Amino acid sequence: MSILGTRVLRAAEDPRFLTGGDRYIDNLPLDGAVHAEYVMSPVAHARITGIDTSAARAMPGVLAVITAADIDLAPQTTSNPRVPESMGRPLLATDTVRFVGELVAAVVAETQSQAIDAAEAVVVDYDPLPAVADALVALTESAPRLFPETESNLALFAGFRTSDDDDFFAGCDVVVRERLVNQRMAVTPMEARAGAMWWDDAGRLHAWSCTQGAHGTRDGLAKAFGLEPEQVRVVAPDVGGGFGGKMGTYPEEVLLGELARRVGRPVRWAESRTQCQLGLYHGRAQVHDVELGGTRDGRLIAYRIRIVQDAGAYPSGGVFLPYLTRLMASGVYELERVDAQIEVVVTNTTPVDAYRGAGRPEATAAIERMVERFAVEAGVDPAEVRRKSFISPDAFPYTTKTKATYDSGNYIGALELALSGAGYVQLRDEQARRRAAGDDGRLLGIGVSSYVEITNGDGSGEFGSIELTDDGGAIVRTGTSPHGQGHHTAFAMIASEITGIPFSRIEVRHGDTDDVPRGGGTGGSRSLQAGGTAVYRASEDFVRAALDLAADMLEANPDDVVLDTAAGAFHVQGTPAIARTWTDLAAAHGGLRAERDTERSAGTFPFGTHVAVVEVDTETGSVRVLRHIACDDAGTIINPVLFDGQVHGGVAAGISQALFEHFVYDVDGNPLTTNLADYCVPAASELPSFERIAMETPTPLNPLGAKGIGEAGTIGATPAVQNAVIDALAHLGVRHIDMPCTPERVWQAVQAARR
Amino acid sequence: MTVLAPTDLDGALAALAERPDATVLAGGTDLMVELNFGHRRAGVFVSLRRVRELREWSRVGDELTIGATVTYTGLERGQIATLVPALAQAARTVGSPQIRNAGTIGGNLATASPAGDTLPVLSALDAVVVCASASAGRREVSVHDFLVGPKRSALAAGELVVAVRVPVLSGPQEFLKVGTRNAMVISIAGVALVTDAARGGLRCALGSVGPTALRAADAESFAATAVEWPSRRATPEAAIEFGRLTAGAARPIDDHRATAHYRRHAVEVCARRAFERVTLR
Repeated sequence: MSILGTRVLRAAEDPRFLTGGDRYIDNLPLDGAVHAEYVMSPVAHARITGIDTSAARAMPGVLAVITAADIDLAPQTTSNPRVPESMGRPLLATDTVRFVGELVAAVVAETQSQAIDAAEAVVVDYDPLPAVADALVALTESAPRLFPETESNLALFAGFRTSDDDDFFAGCDVVVRERLVNQRMAVTPMEARAGAMWWDDAGRLHAWSCTQGAHGTRDGLAKAFGLEPEQVRVVAPDVGGGFGGKMGTYPEEVLLGELARRVGRPVRWAESRTQCQLGLYHGRAQVHDVELGGTRDGRLIAYRIRIVQDAGAYPSGGVFLPYLTRLMASGVYELERVDAQIEVVVTNTTPVDAYRGAGRPEATAAIERMVERFAVEAGVDPAEVRRKSFISPDAFPYTTKTKATYDSGNYIGALELALSGAGYVQLRDEQARRRAAGDDGRLLGIGVSSYVEITNGDGSGEFGSIELTDDGGAIVRTGTSPHGQGHHTAFAMIASEITGIPFSRIEVRHGDTDDVPRGGGTGGSRSLQAGGTAVYRASEDFVRAALDLAADMLEANPDDVVLDTAAGAFHVQGTPAIARTWTDLAAAHGGLRAERDTERSAGTFPFGTHVAVVEVDTETGSVRVLRHIACDDAGTIINPVLFDGQVHGGVAAGISQALFEHFVYDVDGNPLTTNLADYCVPAASELPSFERIAMETPTPLNPLGAKGIGEAGTIGATPAVQNAVIDALAHLGVRHIDMPCTPERVWQAVQAARR
Repeated sequence: MTVLAPTDLDGALAALAERPDATVLAGGTDLMVELNFGHRRAGVFVSLRRVRELREWSRVGDELTIGATVTYTGLERGQIATLVPALAQAARTVGSPQIRNAGTIGGNLATASPAGDTLPVLSALDAVVVCASASAGRREVSVHDFLVGPKRSALAAGELVVAVRVPVLSGPQEFLKVGTRNAMVISIAGVALVTDAARGGLRCALGSVGPTALRAADAESFAATAVEWPSRRATPEAAIEFGRLTAGAARPIDDHRATAHYRRHAVEVCARRAFERVTLR
């Protein structure tokens, strides 16, 4: 029986996590290590007129204090050549600070407390400049300019047209228009950022990083210090969540290497939660001006979206977010005309980068919100609009107007499964009953969201290897880098499936650049399809090589030898009694090993439909999520336990964007939500039990048939919940409420509709 | 950093007398946040954890005396919850179980945050705060005089909250609050309502909508006549008027958590609903 698709518990990782056997950077034993602390700007925009480090240098235990004047390291710039180079981020602020949390100085001391005290003793003179924290304001003529060298705050403009403006909405009986705010989110991983670094006598940098990709961090550090990648070793030990925010190489990390070089000792750093809220790059932060047109009977025809991406103070990797939003703009619909325009603008806020879905959730949120907005205007049930406008199941592979080629899909299938699982018709009846009863305290809202997204979007290949151990077990190595997802379990299952070596005897290694030669890390929901495929292919090569060796031992022709995966043994076809096990093979041929770098291949396109059922109290505006039904099709499921875990976490994050989380700045660029009392991440008491409906449409693009599931839950859930809140109030005339749908916003929307 | 850990009340008062610069540490749910955010520097602390007298509570007649370090968990369960249900309801809305295991009623009083969840309940109950110091001995202060302003109380230097005294009333009680999340959230508005069947009246106090817990005097006067005592019958119109009058007592401000306008409205809704729950049609 195949182990794939079965509910294997996370035996490889969970006992360790649950019993404190984990190894995070902050509990890494490191002899002689000293501590770094960074001085962050408390103001959003100011000229630095002086930095006095003398008091800090005289503090007990202090080994070094550095400012921009002390270092010769290049600013961090984006890889997008269209962004002005002058918008690069200096590792330490030179003459200007541009956001609260920007690094101004760094301190190293014997203990962390001494370092924190000394950082407070660094005196920085700031001459305040006018600040701009709102992307739309930043685009105006009169807005304060972040970079005097550039003509405006616009970092990048990109647009295209599929049709002339004049007849864009030709054939549309109904056109709806709305401005949608996809609010700024703080990534908020459980483990804030941390690092530890030292240089050996040969001038090699050894780094521990809580990164999503050790090799990417290795390359980032090598580039910063002008080294060859081999001169840097990066180890990602256990990592407590990343959600996209831990993909790059942060200034804090490069500076840690610089500090370690200066003091000649290992230097470690662990930030506080507030520092993490300010320093870890934020997510989302887009504003959409959206227009959607279709026929009176509910068929969608034309869609136009202007995407304004708030890049924060320094355009970072996040510049790619609106490109993904544009790529996925038309979602699951077959449209005649699509137009998308991108403006990336700098503001005096924390830079924006990837966060769980990275540009795709924004696309889904925009079109799925507008589909329901359109349905209300046309007077057609929103589910019916979707049925009429979906890309048909027999149209795949399907290339959209924005040039995405969807590999496989069955959007109508997922919709119908989700609707019947939810009891959609009965829910609509119950909704009507409550409305008729005038029960304003407990109005029912039903929200639907049908999504498609792209995983492993850059199509990158991945490294995987498998090695026979002396006792007949195996070591699998992968270039992906888990931070909670369960890769040990998934990859051991795949290797076990192909080789017949028991799951429990397969060790999975990752995240050490000296142990794993190459890797793309974990992000964009790529690990299973890219990393899993590499392990699968390497395991096949491994078995092929083993067959030759076994044939030798059995004194048979290799073509006649077969592997019995159930027994984990080789025998000549037809004579299973005479067999050689993996253990026999290990004894005879130690060190058998196979490795594979998979080819680049196109991204895959998971899809599904979520239905949220909420209860809205119109008097207080409070929203309660009663049910959340998710039908997510990410191709073949390797392990339903891991799949559920990814969906559950994703749905929780999606509900949270719809209702709770919002990173807020005041007009002067002061952050107001730097702790977890003000930045509302969800607790279990806010969430219902999730109802997951299984659907598997394998992708033809990899041997596993698997697509990514890491971000789909978030992508599907967010608009479903937002739509449900607005749906509850539709009969009162409410047409839109921006996220998060807080009690006050919901109440104000009701008030505005009643006026 | 120095932490003094006296084992009895006299020891605690002596420590405070000796070190007037000392900060009192009870559950630490406010203090540790201030330390973490650098709003307060580490110095001398007097920890009350080992002072047994402060952890106890007792009932004499129709009066409960609740020791200052009785935790929210202690309030939300057992006999106190039966005798003063609104206090238990308020305690249940505080933080997570871990926070409720640590945070104390005396700490809520001494911190005197406008958003302190037990404070409107104590105000509605006309609670009496028992304070003590080594030099001046014991004194009793009405909770209304004790809460002076945002994070300001009537505690003198070297003085400690020892206990709080509340009446055991007959009749239903309610505490309602609005926040962005159900738990672990700083409330936007809170309403405490207690009935005093013996004296034929309602007492109502508000949290998070003024510098301290506020009493809704006009609403209370209205309820004295608009509710039929002792049957507690009242009309739906009376509930609406009670909500309106209660909202009139709010003195809310705008901040990033909510606007003053919404806070006042939330008070109105919570007050009306609490009134409907404690009265009969």
